Amino acid sequence: MTGEYRMDGLAVPESLEQLHELLERVRRDHPDVDETALMMFETAVVEIHGNVIRHGRPRGKVSYEFRLEVQDDRLRAHLTTDDDEVPDLSHLHGLEPADPMAESGRGLWLAEAMLDELRYARSGNHNIWTMVKLLDSVSGDAGRP
Amino acid sequence: MDMETRDLADGVGLLALGGRLNMVSAPGVKAAIDELIGGGRPRVVVDLSSVSFMDSSGLGALVAGLKRARQAQGDLRISGANEQVLTVLRLTNLDRVLRPRDTVEEAGRDW
Repeated sequence: MTGEYRMDGLAVPESLEQLHELLERVRRDHPDVDETALMMFETAVVEIHGNVIRHGRPRGKVSYEFRLEVQDDRLRAHLTTDDDEVPDLSHLHGLEPADPMAESGRGLWLAEAMLDELRYARSGNHNIWTMVKLLDSVSGDAGRP
Repeated sequence: MDMETRDLADGVGLLALGGRLNMVSAPGVKAAIDELIGGGRPRVVVDLSSVSFMDSSGLGALVAGLKRARQAQGDLRISGANEQVLTVLRLTNLDRVLRPRDTVEEAGRDW
């Protein structure tokens, strides 16, 4: 049930729709992949891509390449951007937003909570995000972290 | 995103959404909630039964609406959330604040 997918372009709001369409294709091509795992993976991928759209510089001109692999035991994605900025990682690695009624600032935290692995690296002038969802790690009710 | 508003009862407005509630659609949703509250409906039900996906921006719009409603001595409730939306609410612990209801009817009574 393995497969590879790829898309690229400018990180602009319209690209979110294309990302959802790609995930729909994965869903159609791999009906055997657990729907809860795929739903959580999609949520995380969209959050990370949205973070690039919102915070990437120069705004509207950041190029991205997105690659997704369906493997027997995991879903893995790499999002590479030619971004001038290093992202704000203050909400990564378990640091929940301090204000429960905050209207923003939950994206990275939420992405990490949806995944088994979320890694960020800076290489040259590229930001590289790696996202992994294990396919045997999904609890029945996708409970709290 | 599809949006439709109507009165549920005196002072109670309904905002029915359809599609994806994300960084593209969130500002419009926030504005629609503000408009309901500003128009004398401080109690708002947001029907999510036709929302297929919500991200943190969408969640931010609901939190903003809730705060605005409470400032106006009202409240904001949500109904009909699918599994993806419920998972986002659970992981952020906002299900304890927004307390999702199954149906518009359930959300719209006993304020």
